[in-house]
Amino acid sequence: MIEVDNLKKRFGSVVAVDGLSFRAEPGSITGFLGPNGAGKSTTLRTILGLVHPDAGNATVLGQPYRALAHPLHRVGAVLEASEVHPGRSGRNHLRVLATAAGLPRSRADEVLALVELSAAAKRRVKGYSLGMRQRLGLASALLGDPEVLVLDEPANGLDPAGIRWLRDFLRSLAAEGRTVLLSSHVLAEVAQTVDQLVIIHRGRLVQQGSMTDVLARAHGATRVRTPDAARIRELLAAQGTSVTELEDGALAVELPPEKVGELAAANGIVLHELTVEQATLEEVFFELTGGETTQ
Amino acid sequence: MSALVASELLKIRTTRSFWGYVAAIALLTGVGAAAHIGSTQEAARHEQSFQLGLVDIVGVAVVIAIILGITIVTNEFRHGTITPTFLVEPRRERVLGAKSIAGVAFALAFAVLAFVVIAAVAIPWLAIIDIPLRLGEGDVWTRIAEQLLSVVLWTLLGIAIGTVVQNQVAALVGTLIWIFLGETLLAGLFSLLDVDGWAAYLPFHALDAADGTGGENLLSYWPGVLVSLGWIALLGAAGTWRTLRRDIT
Repeated sequence: MIEVDNLKKRFGSVVAVDGLSFRAEPGSITGFLGPNGAGKSTTLRTILGLVHPDAGNATVLGQPYRALAHPLHRVGAVLEASEVHPGRSGRNHLRVLATAAGLPRSRADEVLALVELSAAAKRRVKGYSLGMRQRLGLASALLGDPEVLVLDEPANGLDPAGIRWLRDFLRSLAAEGRTVLLSSHVLAEVAQTVDQLVIIHRGRLVQQGSMTDVLARAHGATRVRTPDAARIRELLAAQGTSVTELEDGALAVELPPEKVGELAAANGIVLHELTVEQATLEEVFFELTGGETTQ
Repeated sequence: MSALVASELLKIRTTRSFWGYVAAIALLTGVGAAAHIGSTQEAARHEQSFQLGLVDIVGVAVVIAIILGITIVTNEFRHGTITPTFLVEPRRERVLGAKSIAGVAFALAFAVLAFVVIAAVAIPWLAIIDIPLRLGEGDVWTRIAEQLLSVVLWTLLGIAIGTVVQNQVAALVGTLIWIFLGETLLAGLFSLLDVDGWAAYLPFHALDAADGTGGENLLSYWPGVLVSLGWIALLGAAGTWRTLRRDIT
């Protein structure tokens, strides 16, 4: 369980996080989305006790991170894949962390096997690809077999097979009852992986809920097919509703289906089709964040 | 805390610069010992000051000690490893404490290595030219102890500098410039202002006094040690304060 309560952080004149509150529950994967500079990394680093908030607070498993007795046994984190000494081998990097956490050094080899990096264990990290560094980061997060995982852009640098592997891996971790909070800018990937969504923009929460809820709440279009397309377009235009003609001749109307149906009935227009077009995560994201590009 | 110290010891051992330090110590002290014996007049080799001079070659280890101290801290900021380090132990002052203990342990090991190399050069050489070792005499052992303490002080000062100036290049270059230029200029300024005595209280003047070899315009031994400790405490406190407050982004 991760709880963020009215968090505020400013760097100089830049407000990075502005009164943000949300929670990530055990047993599910929570996707943390927002355009670049929305405050995602600052929030994650505040949760982990690395950044001091100006106001509000963040707790992990009911306590501030800094108050956890053996944090690596409770919380695993992958922040930037580059936070490794390039001259050290992957295995030695993990041994250093395991030793500091009071874990046996053999744990380093176990987690390397878990992320399928055993073959490169003795190589210096300098020669690792970005994908391998991501796996090494994940391995370090898993050292203490933690209940909570925090991952900042874990899919960066992974190839499609790696992303699929990561998705299955995170799913299995969440299925074991762990809390997984991950930030990502690859929306298609997030849509396939996460259960819960937290979307922020300019340091503020703009949407939170299950993936289905968020998509349902979104402003979807209604698909209308009618032999009298010209007439209904006229009527809709007269009340200021936006209408787009689709490739197959149907119309996408920015109005709930019941309104379109009522309008058609009142004017005696025959409808051949009246369906709700489900919004995609990408559409929802751009709608909520003002169309600013992510990443 | 012992887990943290063990982790810091492992960090020092698992980078290549560790072997660079070992090689530098072996080379500098080996060459230093040979040069010391070779350049001393036949007659003077019998004097105890000559044998003390051999011990003093350990002094080159202080250079490695301060570099080790600075890099133990600044490496973490340079490579971003400070993030995982503080994730494992969010009580940052304990990390700095563990670094100090591990740094001092390695600096002492380097000093012991220096003694071994000096002994390996000097003992056979002096045996061949038939000059008795006078290790039993009190001064030699006192000087060895003083040199070991000096290495400890330089390491701790390096760590304190690293916590204050967290940029590695700035810390290393700044320290060099300070040693060779800063303190000389300040000493000159003090002299102009007619307060010549102040120069002896500058950090590296104090450290110079704290290696037991004495020197002109320096404090005597114990005041030198105390003033050095004072600088370490001052910079260490400032660096700890800075490290505790810093946002790791």
